[in-house]
Amino acid sequence: MGALPRFARRFFDEQERLFQIGGGSIGGKAAGLARGSALVARRGEEIAAAGLAVDVPSLVVLGSDFFDRFVESNGLEPLLEEGASDRRIAEAFHRATIPGDLVGDLRSLAELVRQPLAVRSSSRLEDALGEPFAGVYRTKMIPGNAPDAGARFAALLEAVKFVWASTWFAGARAYLAATGHRGEREQMAVIVQEVVGRRHGDRFYPDVSGVARSWNFYPTGGARPEEGVIALALGLGKTIVDGGVCWSLSPARPRLAPPFASARERVDGTQSRFWAVWVGPPPPHDPMTEVEFLVEAGLAEAEADGALDAIASTYDPASDRIWPGLGRQGPRVIDFAPILVDRSLPLVPTVTALLAACEEELGGPVEIEFALSLPPRRPSRFGLLQMRPLLVSAERVEVGERQLVEPGVVVASVEALGNGRRELRDVVFVDPERFEARATRAIALEIETLNRGLLEAGRDCLLIGFGRWGSADPWLGIPVRWDQISSARVLVEAALPGMSPEPSQGSHFFHNLSSFGVFYLNVPAADRAGVDWEYLRAQPEIAATEHVRHVRAARPLAAEVDGRARRGRVYRREVSS
Amino acid sequence: MAIRGVNAFDVAQAQFDKVAAMLDLDPATRELLRQPMREYSFAVPVRMDDGAVRIFRGFRVQHNDARGPAKGGIRFHPQETLDTVRALAMWMTWKCAVVDIPLGGGKGGVICDPHHLSEREQEGICRGWVRQLARNVGPVSDVPAPDVMTSGKHMLWMLDEFEAIHGGHYPGFITGKPVGAGGSQGRTEATGYGVVYTIREALKQLGLRPDQTRASVQGFGNVAQYAIRLYREIGGTVTCVSSWDNEAQQAVSFRKGEGIDPDELVGVTDRFGGIDQAKARDLGYEILPGDAWLEQPVEILIPSALENQLDGDNAPRVKPTVKLIAEGANGPTTPDADKVFAERGILLIPDFLANAGGVTCSYYEQVQSNMNMYWPKDEVLGRLDLTMTAAYHAVAELAQRRKLALRDAAYVISISRVAQACHERGWV
Repeated sequence: MGALPRFARRFFDEQERLFQIGGGSIGGKAAGLARGSALVARRGEEIAAAGLAVDVPSLVVLGSDFFDRFVESNGLEPLLEEGASDRRIAEAFHRATIPGDLVGDLRSLAELVRQPLAVRSSSRLEDALGEPFAGVYRTKMIPGNAPDAGARFAALLEAVKFVWASTWFAGARAYLAATGHRGEREQMAVIVQEVVGRRHGDRFYPDVSGVARSWNFYPTGGARPEEGVIALALGLGKTIVDGGVCWSLSPARPRLAPPFASARERVDGTQSRFWAVWVGPPPPHDPMTEVEFLVEAGLAEAEADGALDAIASTYDPASDRIWPGLGRQGPRVIDFAPILVDRSLPLVPTVTALLAACEEELGGPVEIEFALSLPPRRPSRFGLLQMRPLLVSAERVEVGERQLVEPGVVVASVEALGNGRRELRDVVFVDPERFEARATRAIALEIETLNRGLLEAGRDCLLIGFGRWGSADPWLGIPVRWDQISSARVLVEAALPGMSPEPSQGSHFFHNLSSFGVFYLNVPAADRAGVDWEYLRAQPEIAATEHVRHVRAARPLAAEVDGRARRGRVYRREVSS
Repeated sequence: MAIRGVNAFDVAQAQFDKVAAMLDLDPATRELLRQPMREYSFAVPVRMDDGAVRIFRGFRVQHNDARGPAKGGIRFHPQETLDTVRALAMWMTWKCAVVDIPLGGGKGGVICDPHHLSEREQEGICRGWVRQLARNVGPVSDVPAPDVMTSGKHMLWMLDEFEAIHGGHYPGFITGKPVGAGGSQGRTEATGYGVVYTIREALKQLGLRPDQTRASVQGFGNVAQYAIRLYREIGGTVTCVSSWDNEAQQAVSFRKGEGIDPDELVGVTDRFGGIDQAKARDLGYEILPGDAWLEQPVEILIPSALENQLDGDNAPRVKPTVKLIAEGANGPTTPDADKVFAERGILLIPDFLANAGGVTCSYYEQVQSNMNMYWPKDEVLGRLDLTMTAAYHAVAELAQRRKLALRDAAYVISISRVAQACHERGWV
């Protein structure tokens, strides 16, 4: 029936931690976790020797048959066919009934568990090798602490139905179409997993969340791509996967801070808010919202919770210095210095050992997600939350420094990502004369419109914008979702004075970028190379919106990225060679 | 449970005596439990449509309410007797106890034939029945429900009369109400689903996967239909089903080797549950004699029609492939057949466990009615699954530990629970 042992109405079990309810596929994410769990069982001692014991938190997967039968028995199919709105789909799923032979298992799960649970999608297409669906479907956290089992059960069902419904949401449908899966049926499994963390009053969260990749798409300073990269954040991993502000480091040089210009800038450029599961009095009932049971809080709250001791430093304005720890008065800085600089906790060696083991397991570069709980006077807990392969192109392309400044170069970057060559004629660019940081939400919608036209015409494009693509913060860049820019095969992130020069770090966004082989060219404002706006403006216009233009070059433009040297350019073939 | 041709109450008492001996119950407890606590026998005068007044005979028996309010249906039947009602009330006590819901056992009835009564006359009987008993039944003492030839509409007439007498709203007085009028979601499915929940757990015990099994079902009423649906959902294949042909006045079996489709069959079924033979043949079903359902090469038999269908004579015709029998109906297996199946190592899930999903859901309905707040179907069926699963495992574990048949183990659990409640209350 399924790939995992059948849920025997036990959850916190010493022998088995992964179970399945209903048959069918368990999806890419659950398959990755199953492999991760087997890996930990086999090589856990070896990894623990590096510092911390690793485990995969208990989980139950609702197999894809469960979803199919839910849809069929409730007659929900027409909603998909008629392209109903997200709200209507969510409401119809909310009212629908769980198949009678499976509802008892969910009820039993709700009766067994009295702590926060994460309900996440695990589809066949999502997270599978070469299929970067990460972040397309919804995730919901539930507190799981209601005294009444019936209330816990109701919240669990609502979360499962919401995640199921997100399979059919407009964003997911557009994504399927954009990735050549139009008309294909998604096999949707759902993971219900315990949340690693600690309770602090009305909040429950991990002390540290992290995403680690064994290949670094954004090596900064002296770091090398093959050293990998770790992104850390306080609280739930939502901060990292949504592309929020977090702390990045190379596992080979954990003490090396990201390139902030000054201590003051570091204070401003590091994490100041974090996400937690709300475990206090029930919030207003809103089952069709992803963040129903999530709460965002500031560092003062985290400090009062005692959650900053191991991860924060303090800024001293008088000396304009940052001191590790909380011993002084002043703004706190989430730079993980006690762990990374003072090595109070062997986190980096553990992640390094785990990444190496995962790479061996999957036979190539990997990305993992993890959460760390650091209860005082008790052993720390390192939970492995996800393991998936990363795609890295092996094609040999060389772009020399000289080639960046040749005549005919339209875009040049010394911070390029990807590897290979391609041709295209369509260019969608945000007009630098009309760009305003406060208009980024509107710009995202304008790009979506143009993107739709390109998809319908079956054309790829070079997309040029300002600030971070996919930024969760509209003041730092254009807050697009992946499906809104899915026709882009080359993505240029140009900077204007006053916008953050830091390249995007949204984990899912860049997982998609790399897995689709989309070239990424970062063009800081001060860079000697840049964008040839004059040339772009002179090209025949296909469409235009208030801030964005779509032009088609008379002759194809060539794009190439040298992944090893991290140089990339877009050039006019008839002028340059 | 009900035995045709013999006094049902004698049979019920004999079953009780056997288990009481196994449990070594003290004489007072035996005496208390082998008799009903209370019995009401009364006249129900009804003015008929032709203007004449006719007197009907009504009963209510409360066998035991040590564990909670008595619970049981009201039957309208021309051959109703007080002894039948006594036996059925006693069986309700055991049924509620085996699934561990806090209710006792009761049953009621009226000697009448609804086929020959207008709606208005049936309403008169319902209201008259309640008028006689209004002070002896109620949400905290005795909670009636539909049974043979009574339905949701009868329950609403009775509820209305009860509320008129007591001057308030008491939806918890009666169960089996239509959804929207105080009824519970999931009640329609509950009995059939409950049967399959126990089958699912029994298959685990037997080491069989549902998708490796086939089943043959007697009956095509509510219990059978929902049992078939859920059994198919968990992966099983139903190859044969029988139903009563009202025109031919005989039972008929319908077979399809690759598996019957309940939706397809419901489409050719009349309002009495009889499947149209000609239409079924057109749909590719083989038409077989009425008792052919019991001699199919399947792993599971689900008798869900009448009592006494598997007896000493036909039990040997059950195929060696059969590993499990789940009694969806009340009393489909005679003691002689029980012996045959036990010798052949067939696991038999007894009626008062297998079909207890119905009363369990009635209990949920009563809880919801008393709160005046109603659950979604997921809540009802989720609870039902857990209750039935827990009950099956408690019985199976005892059966294994003490080397008992499931029926005996179920009786041991029920009777000891009721006896314990009587002791703890200081009654005996």
